[in-house]
Amino acid sequence: MDPDRELVEAAAAGSRDAFDELVRRHQAAIVSLAQVLTSGRGDPDDLAQEVFVRAWRSLRTFRGESLFRTWLHRVAINVVRTSQAKRGLWTRLFTSDSQDSVPERASGEEPLDAVLARRQVIDRALATLPEELRVAVTLRDLQGLDYKEIADLIGVPVGTVESRIFRARQKLKPLLAPLLKGR
Amino acid sequence: MDYDDDDQRLVASVLASRPAADVAPGFLARVNARIDAARDEGWFGLADFRVWTLRLVPAAAALALIGLLWPGTSSTAPRAADATPAVAASESAAPQRFTPSSASDWQRDVTANALLEAAMHSRGEGRAR
Repeated sequence: MDPDRELVEAAAAGSRDAFDELVRRHQAAIVSLAQVLTSGRGDPDDLAQEVFVRAWRSLRTFRGESLFRTWLHRVAINVVRTSQAKRGLWTRLFTSDSQDSVPERASGEEPLDAVLARRQVIDRALATLPEELRVAVTLRDLQGLDYKEIADLIGVPVGTVESRIFRARQKLKPLLAPLLKGR
Repeated sequence: MDYDDDDQRLVASVLASRPAADVAPGFLARVNARIDAARDEGWFGLADFRVWTLRLVPAAAALALIGLLWPGTSSTAPRAADATPAVAASESAAPQRFTPSSASDWQRDVTANALLEAAMHSRGEGRAR
């Protein structure tokens, strides 16, 4: 049972209030997803807004075959991928060194507080992963989607999802060492 | 294997502890503004002549092609109309000679004398052969 079903139906019928409530429910998850998937390249807030604009436009095509949350994550991944592809093309065309466009990772910077430090360490570690591993482990461990949802969302078998998440965690372990201490 | 499982759980728990994103104040308002802007753009787009001009190009090309190929709009009609003053001028000028060299000539208003002369002329040529 999709906890968003009633709101989705109302929004699809044109209710902006219902859609506003859907935005409130999912905005933090979508901004987080955009932050991780962009790895600092691009404006996650802007992309997250675009995700909801696209969702509003396409809501009538949502058939309820998956959870609204799953569908929304698919929209988000498509928006981020499109944006990254455009950004990559722009970078290749107009910069001599694509590394210039990668924002500095704040290495050596003192974090403002423990919360920011934790987020930075995790985001930096995730940014080192290939996209297919990063998407899978982000959807599972940060967004809380189950394996079946992830498999449906990215269009691969569940076994492939499991394998990607396993490999991603293996690669992340040494990078997350500062946060693993004391656990 | 247990070691691997423990590692997997450990990493998963660290990732799950990532602090949620801070959603910027006014996020919802900006989403709504973008939705409204996209909708308005859609309505104004209907009045954008550039959009219509481009969209109408195929229809205009098709109409032009039909106009060129349609049987009733062949070049004979305008030529006949154009010829009328010339015929009138030549008739008034004098030797009313009629030589049916083209289809348009058969469409002219031809005087009886000119027709007779043309017929006599062609018969005379036949006898000479």
